[in-house]
Amino acid sequence: MMSFLVSFILIVLAFLGAPLFAIILAVAMIGFYIQGVDLSVIPIEIYRISDTSVLVALPLFTFAGYLLAESRTSDRVVRLSRVFLGWMPGGLAIVSFISCALFTAFTGASGITIVALGALLYPALIQDGYPENFSIGLVTTSGSLGLLFAPSLPLILYGIIAQQMTVGEGVSIEKLFLAGLLPGLLMIFILSIWSLWVNRRMPVQKKRFEIREAFSALKEAKWEIPLPVFVLGGVYGGFFAISEAAAVTALYVLVVEVLIYREISIKKLPEIMIESMVMVGGILLILGVSLASTNYLIDAEVPTRLFTFIQAHVTEKIVFLILLNILLLMLGAILDIFSALVIMVPLLLPVAVSYDINPIHLGIIFLANMQIGYFTPPVGMNLFIASYRFKKSIISLYRSTIPFMLLLLIAVLIITYWPGLSLMFVD
Amino acid sequence: MGLLLLMILLAVAQIFLRNFFGTGIVWADVLVRILVLWVGLVGAMAAGRKGDHIKIDLISKYLKSKLSWIVAAITDFFTTVVCAVVLFYSIKFIRFEYIDGTVAFGRIPVWFCQAIIPFSFLVMSLRYFVRTILNLKAYFNQKE
Repeated sequence: MMSFLVSFILIVLAFLGAPLFAIILAVAMIGFYIQGVDLSVIPIEIYRISDTSVLVALPLFTFAGYLLAESRTSDRVVRLSRVFLGWMPGGLAIVSFISCALFTAFTGASGITIVALGALLYPALIQDGYPENFSIGLVTTSGSLGLLFAPSLPLILYGIIAQQMTVGEGVSIEKLFLAGLLPGLLMIFILSIWSLWVNRRMPVQKKRFEIREAFSALKEAKWEIPLPVFVLGGVYGGFFAISEAAAVTALYVLVVEVLIYREISIKKLPEIMIESMVMVGGILLILGVSLASTNYLIDAEVPTRLFTFIQAHVTEKIVFLILLNILLLMLGAILDIFSALVIMVPLLLPVAVSYDINPIHLGIIFLANMQIGYFTPPVGMNLFIASYRFKKSIISLYRSTIPFMLLLLIAVLIITYWPGLSLMFVD
Repeated sequence: MGLLLLMILLAVAQIFLRNFFGTGIVWADVLVRILVLWVGLVGAMAAGRKGDHIKIDLISKYLKSKLSWIVAAITDFFTTVVCAVVLFYSIKFIRFEYIDGTVAFGRIPVWFCQAIIPFSFLVMSLRYFVRTILNLKAYFNQKE
């Protein structure tokens, strides 16, 4: 009875806007206290952050992403992809999907994509004759499209959390990156086909491919083109460890944007550093405190009990997967992706494994669902960002994103029920 | 500003890391991992300044200003207490480490690397306490 009351109070506090790290800490403290464990375990668990060497990737990639977002990289990405893909029918829509996915993979899906790329793509789409509803829906949806591609932070974080657990020891971040490749491409593919179909009657003046423009766009972006090549090539090809790739990326981006393009002044650098570190601090803190709460949950055998409970009601793997999808979609609309990972993965992973779901596949399912949560009414974060940025009412955004949401839902179902798609390249 | 310094250190550490496969500086790896902890907790302190910590923004957005202050005061006070408890136990934990005197790398003892934990929770606890007071003040001023 007592414990129900306490959990109820904590849940209410969480919904009233108490910082999630404090809620997680309170769970761990009360739990350990009841078990009679000295609460010194909590700082010990927080200190474990320094045990994980992959974690270096988190601040470094975040910093690099903030630098890219502050400079005019977005202009160059759009220009480049327009030159090379703009001549195709429905080219601009496809350009939008691909450049947004690339940009999000590097900057993290924190709404930056909508602000930086959407602001360029939306007027361009309108100008090319795409309907307004379609364009705004496309831009809002694309804001979270790159989550499954390297070096996306949520994917890295999933790997780190999974590695802390016995059932997920084999989950390397490299494998996750490989696993995300086809599901991510599937999403882009489905959206592209649909864009072509919807706008098939639209008299789009096809652009010719111009060699001169291609050269000048290439020349303008010549310092940034190597970045995805060596990060993606290096990581997917297995030449780099993630932390090495992160170190190289951060240093390279710093030199290129500050010293070569000179789009970020040295004076502005501390501000960007602080901004990005506030973000990292928020993520690392909930990660650290969740190490403590996870430890308590495992001590208290909560995952095992959860499994027995679910097992009693759900025997089929398929039914479990359906419930999983529903749960994750709902979570994605309420929680941000990092807290959702930190809170849910330790609970879900052991249960999912006992339903014979590969931990790597679970990671991809998890993120694919969360990605939709970004623009699920009523509270998807990207809806608010797009509404603010493009001065549209939230209601009109609900309407324009729904077709995209349904399509991605189909993609998520394919990803969920076809493990082979995710695990094709993972031995 | 300390944050900035740390980042520069981190950038240098990266280069060490890159040379790692060549020369192999044993303590650089440890240092980088501890720096991650430090940067994270310093970032967390900075996030506390603006009340920027990750939270569920579902209800607070729709509350009227009067009610929102009292709600914020409650959640801030809750956070203050939680941080204070962590502060207390991390000091206890570090005292043990201090007596043990284990060395992290070079001549730097482990307790020094861990010192950031009580420090950051002290700062966060104070910050959230101040926020609690400010919210209460706003609430009572509004009433009159």
